[in-house]
Parts: sequence; C-alpha cells; structure tokens
Amino acid sequence: MNLVTVLDIFIGGVLIGGIYALIAMGLSLQYGVSRVLNVSHGEFIMLGAFATWVLYTSLGINPLISLVIVGPIIFVIGYLLHRTLFRSLFKSSPSLPAFEGSSLLATFGILYIIQNIAIITWGSSSKGYTFLASPVNLGGAIFSANRLLTLGFAIGIGVAFYVFLARTRMGKAIRAAAQDPDAAGLMGVNINQVLALCFGLGTLLTGLAGVLYSMCFSIQATMGLGFTIIAIIVVVLGGLGSIPGSFLGGFILGIIGQIVTYFEPSLSLAAYYIIFILLLLVKPTGILGK
Amino acid sequence: MKHLKFCFCIILLVSFVIFPITAWSESKVEKDKIVIGAARPLSGPLAQIGDFAMGPIMTMWAEEVNARGGINVAGKKLPVELLIYDDTSDLGTSTRLIEKLILEDKVDFLFPNCSTAFLYASAPLANKYKYVYLGAEGGCTTLTAMLPELPYVFGVLNYSDYYQIPVLADVLVAKGVKTAAIIYINDLHGVEYYHSSLSEFMKKGITIVMAEAVPPFSEDVELVLKAARDSGADALCGYVYPPTTMAVLGQAAAIGYSPKAMVLGPGVNFEFFKGIFGPQMLEGVMGFGAYNSKSSPEIADFIARFIKRWELGAMDWWGGAFYFAGLQCFEKAIEKAGTLDNTRVRDIMAKEHFDTILGDTWFDMTAGGEGGGLLAKECHPGQVGQWQNGEYEVVGPTDKATTDQVIYPKPAWPAP
Repeated sequence: MNLVTVLDIFIGGVLIGGIYALIAMGLSLQYGVSRVLNVSHGEFIMLGAFATWVLYTSLGINPLISLVIVGPIIFVIGYLLHRTLFRSLFKSSPSLPAFEGSSLLATFGILYIIQNIAIITWGSSSKGYTFLASPVNLGGAIFSANRLLTLGFAIGIGVAFYVFLARTRMGKAIRAAAQDPDAAGLMGVNINQVLALCFGLGTLLTGLAGVLYSMCFSIQATMGLGFTIIAIIVVVLGGLGSIPGSFLGGFILGIIGQIVTYFEPSLSLAAYYIIFILLLLVKPTGILGK
Repeated sequence: MKHLKFCFCIILLVSFVIFPITAWSESKVEKDKIVIGAARPLSGPLAQIGDFAMGPIMTMWAEEVNARGGINVAGKKLPVELLIYDDTSDLGTSTRLIEKLILEDKVDFLFPNCSTAFLYASAPLANKYKYVYLGAEGGCTTLTAMLPELPYVFGVLNYSDYYQIPVLADVLVAKGVKTAAIIYINDLHGVEYYHSSLSEFMKKGITIVMAEAVPPFSEDVELVLKAARDSGADALCGYVYPPTTMAVLGQAAAIGYSPKAMVLGPGVNFEFFKGIFGPQMLEGVMGFGAYNSKSSPEIADFIARFIKRWELGAMDWWGGAFYFAGLQCFEKAIEKAGTLDNTRVRDIMAKEHFDTILGDTWFDMTAGGEGGGLLAKECHPGQVGQWQNGEYEVVGPTDKATTDQVIYPKPAWPAP
C-alpha cells in the first residue's frame, strides 16, 4: 500500500465522515437533551437534500446559498414538531421512560409521513445535479472538489455548533438541561423552550448535512432510514449524549468504512453493523461517553 | 295426504327449476372485466427501476386496451383492471403478495415483479399455481436452467448471456479493447453479468484486470473507481442499479477518470439520466437495451404514443419495447384462447407467433414446448446502446444497429 492509497483511504473516509458527524451530532442532541430517540432523523437529511435539489434545478440557486435558506426552514419544522407533538406527548406521559417510548413510536409515524409525502411530491427515482465535479490533487491523491468543499463546511458547522454550546448563554442552558432538566428549570431556564430548541437544532444539523450530501451524491426519497441507522451507530460510537464524541465518531466511522471498502467493498455496509455490535459488547459507553 | 303430495310436487318442481339454474349460473359466471394483479416496487430503492421500466408500459397498455373496449374474449370485450400492491422493494413482501393475489384476490392473471432477484423468486411461485408469468425487468441467466420445469414462465427481456454480454464483447473487441475493469453489485443481477463477462470476455480476448463487488445501491464508489483507474483498463463495466450508476458516472467525472469505454447499467438506458447529467457528459457512454425510433416504424409509433401518454423523460431505451411486445403477445393469446384460463393462454403463447411492435414475435420454448420460454433473440431490437449526440443509439449487434459508428474512445468529461 503506497502513500497515495493511504491518503485515498484516509481522506476519503474523512470526506464522508463529515456528513456522518453532522447527522450524529443532531441525533445526539435530540436524544441527549430532548430525550427523543428520533427514528425519523434521516428524513431531515432527505428533506434538506431535496430542497437543495429543487432550488438548484428549478431556480438555479447555488447549493452553498441553500445552506442559509434550507437550514432555517428545517430548524423551524423541528422546533414546531417538538412544541406541538412531543410537548403534548411529554405532558400526557406518566414518566420519562414512558415519554421516551411514546415519542419513539411517534417518530416512526413521522418517518412514514415525511417519506410518503416526498415520494408523492418528487417520485421514487434518484435525483441529482452536478456541482463542482472536478478533480483536485492532494499529495498525489485525487479528490473531487465538491467533496472537499463539503468536508470544509461540515467541519466549520460542527466546530461552530460546539462553540455555540460551550461558549454561549443558550449553550450553557442546553448543557444544564441535558444534565438535570429539573434543576435547570429551577434555576430559571425555560425548559420547554430549550428542549424544543435542541430538537430544532438537531433537525437543522441534519438538514445542513442533506444540503452538503446532495452536492456529491444522488438522492432518493427513501434514503433517510439508512442515515438514521448510521447516526445511531455513530452516537453509540462517540458516546451517548456526547456532542464532541458524535463529531469524532462520524469521522472514525467514515475512515473505518473506507478501510473496509478498500479491502472488500461488498462488506462496507456490514462493517458498520459489526462495529455497532462490537461496541455494545466491548465499550457500550463509546469513545467519549461517561 | 293429498296436501302432502301437493307440497312434495311443489318442492320437486322448485328444486328442478332452481338447482339447475344455480348450477348453470355458477359455471357460466359472466365476467365483466379481467383483473390482473402485480406486486410492484412503488416505494423503496427498486421503485426507480419499476417506475421507469415496466410500470408506465403496463399502465399504457391497459389504457390502450380499455380504449379499444377491452380484450375480446369469446366475442365479448372485457376491460382490463390492474390490481397493484406495493412490495416496498422487499423480496419477502413481494412473494407474499404474489400468493395473496392468487389465493385471496383470485386475480385472473399476474404481471411480473421487478428486478432479477424478484423475478427469480416469484416465477416458480406463479408457476406452482399455474399462472402465466410474463417476465419484465430482470435477467433470467440463473432462471434459464429451471425453465424446462416452469412451463408458465415467459422471459421477455434480454439479459447478460442472452445476448448482451456476447454482443458487448464483440463491440468492444472491434474497437480494440484489450482490458476491462468490472464493478458489480453483489446481488443476482450483478453476479449474473459479472459471470457472463468472465466467460465471454475471456473467449474474445479481453482480459479482466480488476473486478470488485459493491453492495446494492451503493452511493460512495470513489475508492473502487480509483482502483479501476489504477488498473489502467481500456473499458470500465459497471453492472449496478441506477443509484450506483449515477454514483459511478458522477464520481468518475469528479475525480477525472474517463476510461476509453464505459458501459453502465441499468441506468444510462433511462432518458432521465440525460436530464440529470446532460448529453455532453453521457456522450460515448454505453449501456444495454436497446431500440429507438430508427429501429422500425412500429417501434417509432410506440415511442410516439409513449411520449404522448407520459413524457420523453420517462422513456426506458432498454426494456420498454420488449415489455410492450410481451403484453401484446399476452393480449393476443387471450383473444385466440377465447378464455381466461391460464393454461390455455399459456399453450397459445408457447406455440404461436404474434404481430407486435417488434414485428413477428414468438417465444423460444424449452423442453420441446412443454417448459417455459424466452422471447426469441431474433425479435430483440438490439443488445447494446450508446449515447451519441443526445440519442441512445443501438450499436450492437451490427444487423440491428441504428448508427454506423461506435464512439471510441469515449470523449473526456466536459468541464464542470
């Protein structure tokens, strides 16, 4: 294996890992703070991708500009979903485990509703567009410009989000709500607002991942569920509730996937599930989990 | 006593009148329509094959039949009703639905499932219940060996060793291709095409310098493409389904990998690929099929009707004409049989020639006519296609070609 091949594998893994990192951070936030194991999470990457495709092919809007159009829309959808559906479920649930169970079932419903609306609206065929599909040479290894750009944005969005959580007042409120929602509420944190905000931010990150994904890959109305599974694997890999863990886990999973693909491409998907099972057996707390 | 005798006579009379009529009614239930059931992928990853291949063709065929008043069955025209269930692209669901259609819905006829693996799983099931099973999207390479035992199965589409890969090898060899790299999906479709290529390419002097299997519907194939590029092969063959076909095309262009010959499919045979990638990017890319308006006036008329009903973007340049011709054979066989009895319809389909958009059309039957059959290769309008100036031209076999030239080497990718 020469240096160029190593670069191919490593950078190739990092490129797809950036997308995984964003969706996993979103899921981690939704489960870690809002306590909703959102099975419909992947549908928001699909929505983000299709919205970008529509804006690009119908109105000629640059996908990078779509980031600032699609992101807020998907954030509002997520925020309103929590303020209405999940808030109502929370009120009617006798305990937190009961809420987690009923919200899990509700997200299954959301998954099918969003997916079927998408199939009716956009059909079942693959969609795509070409954007910055030109080669870039990195130390002898060739990568596509759109994927490098995607990586840059994924890292930028991930770091910005981490800074938001670590350095801002709202971020502190979110972290407080994640640790002890009752105590945070007693200290003046508007818990309902924070939980809905976290759910909305989770969908926002995933929607942005969808925008970036559509620049490099074809998209389908049924693509969501696969990403939800990957997000769950990454969240477990990084450590439940750990945002930096999810960010790191996304890149690790991407690199492992590329290594397996290099040696045996047909096992690349199976490798993800094997990692998931091994993690649950050997280190269920994940890399950065407590 | 007299009263009793009277009652007995009345009962007897009523019995004679009612029972024969009831029995006659049951044996001569007048049908007012022909119900044809199918388990199709209306959702899931296979939907994009079904929606652009057999799906619109069978809908158009049913509409045209009904516009003519229906199929003439023993002097009475019966309209056609399609009963379609969504198998969600799941093989287990698909086969369960086939049994439901047969046993619970008691449909008159069955239409096919979608894709090679689904065809392979469902054909024996339909045959078990003695339902005519007309194949559509999907190859029969593995199924062929079983055909003598499946008299109700009729393969309609051409596929790997029947005779796409042999013709493809001829086309490539004629242009000087010496080496090939193969990427294939590890499901029945990919495996059948890969194995056909192993034998045909070797037979005709093309060395396979790289072959890699990828999971079905893979989206990220950059690393595998780099392996193909590094192999230095003259030709890249991608035996993959449309989402992966899109990935191969898009990612090969993005890393600047442009082999001298590129054969992909299914996928590039769909007109919507041109809508996504544009004609310049598809220039010189080969796929399977194939037919176009230049193939024959009957096919040109079929294409015009299809575009009028749907749109050019819904056209499938591989199977559309095959499927429609298969349905025409089926319709004419019912009319000739004068009954909806599947066995009698099967016998006529096995023996007769039919006038369809492919011209004189018939099935080559196995087991001396007692087994299943395949649409005769003489009826195929083409095996290999290539995008040239925005048209999907037939380039093989030469006697069916709609153009004299095969573009080789494929031009470099257009600037982004």
